[in-house]
Amino acid sequence: MSKLTKEDLHFFLLKLHSLTGIVPIGIFLAFHLAINSLRTVGVHQYQFSIDLINNLPFLFGIEVLFIYVPLLLHSALGFYVTFAGRMNVRRYPYYRNWMYTLQRITGAIVFAFLVYHMGTTVVPKIYYGKELFDAAPFLIDAMNREFQTWGGRILYLAGIFSAAFHFANGLWGFCVSWGMIVGPSAQRNASVVFLLFGLVLGLLGAATVVEFSLHPVPVAPSFTG
Amino acid sequence: MTRETIALKIKRQDAPGAKPYWNVFKLPSLPHANVISCLQEIQRNPVTADGKTVTPVTWDCNCLEEVCGSCTMRINGRVRQACTALVDILEDPIVLEPMSKFPVVRDLQVDRSRMFENLRKIKGWIEIDGSYDIGEGPVFPEKIREKAYALSQCMTCGCCLEACPQFTLTNDFMGAATFSQVRYFNLHPTGAMNKEERLEAVMKSGGIADCGNAQVCVEVCPKKIPLTESIAEIGRETTLQLLKNLVLK
Repeated sequence: MSKLTKEDLHFFLLKLHSLTGIVPIGIFLAFHLAINSLRTVGVHQYQFSIDLINNLPFLFGIEVLFIYVPLLLHSALGFYVTFAGRMNVRRYPYYRNWMYTLQRITGAIVFAFLVYHMGTTVVPKIYYGKELFDAAPFLIDAMNREFQTWGGRILYLAGIFSAAFHFANGLWGFCVSWGMIVGPSAQRNASVVFLLFGLVLGLLGAATVVEFSLHPVPVAPSFTG
Repeated sequence: MTRETIALKIKRQDAPGAKPYWNVFKLPSLPHANVISCLQEIQRNPVTADGKTVTPVTWDCNCLEEVCGSCTMRINGRVRQACTALVDILEDPIVLEPMSKFPVVRDLQVDRSRMFENLRKIKGWIEIDGSYDIGEGPVFPEKIREKAYALSQCMTCGCCLEACPQFTLTNDFMGAATFSQVRYFNLHPTGAMNKEERLEAVMKSGGIADCGNAQVCVEVCPKKIPLTESIAEIGRETTLQLLKNLVLK
């Protein structure tokens, strides 16, 4: 490719915006919600999954490269495109315009939620250094406390369902803007399929919240940090 | 519906950048009147409902049969052509505003040159002039002609852009009409000779990647042009062009 101009970069970055929403962020979200729902099967399965992930080689590098950087990039570009436009769903209340509006609103909700969620889970891990404490008891204890109050439950349910919707509808947007679904009926059918997929993801997350709320796991976090 | 009189509430502006204000006019309700004929009535007798003589309201119009696009304005909040806005089926009072996404020239007149500049950027024509004879155009398959005909009806009226949440007065988004014209000229066998240039013209700031797929464009298009299909199709072609540029150039 010839020398990248500022104009080319704009196009390239917006393409990257829609791509990072699917790979890796969307894929991560789907696995995150699915793996966490192991909690509904049993504490051991849940703890095993946490330990498995936490003992991956080069974990910090993987997290930075495949989660933090894409997430920051996707968020920054997301706020940029949101503020480049002006929502008008009250004047033109069509289905897809609602989806356009909700996509932007849920994006902002998820961003705010992630600041809290990562601040209470990832930041302590990085701050104290993961070798100084056991991830599983620490995270399970943190979640136990979150789901003892309605505030925590509602916060997490809002975050989970916003993320699930944002991913499902974003998957649709990705397929349209990359030209994978073109005709009106293809677009309508895909919209139904993707939203059902989002609902399933949301319910997986909700099941984990319910399980934690009903049966908190007694743990004593061994905290040497 | 039989009404004695009809009220027109019109958003007015004396010059570009001037502060807008409202005038209300009361007219006798005539059968089969449209918004243009009401505006002509106001032009003949520019007296507001409270008896003040004002400057006549200005507006653009030309064909009066919804093929030129110049009388596009917001009528009762919704963008459409004034010539086909029949008074008998409009709610009273009829509220007229200029389009909000284009700079106002005066009253209901707006400057749509942004759309025409975009058509220039995408080479919205078929190249037939040159230093040599490029010969007759290839035969046009009927299926493609059908598709192209639907796209050819675009009159650059601006409805799709006025209703688009991603298109604003200040950003550089090109919008549905422009993308659909890229598809239109690329569909033509002779036009396809400049296919890459047209695609690359929308692979820039304000181009196809800026589309947020709110799809209001297709809902308000007076010509029922399959704009969202055009957008997805151009999305597909620009994606392929991007891959091609990455590996071949």
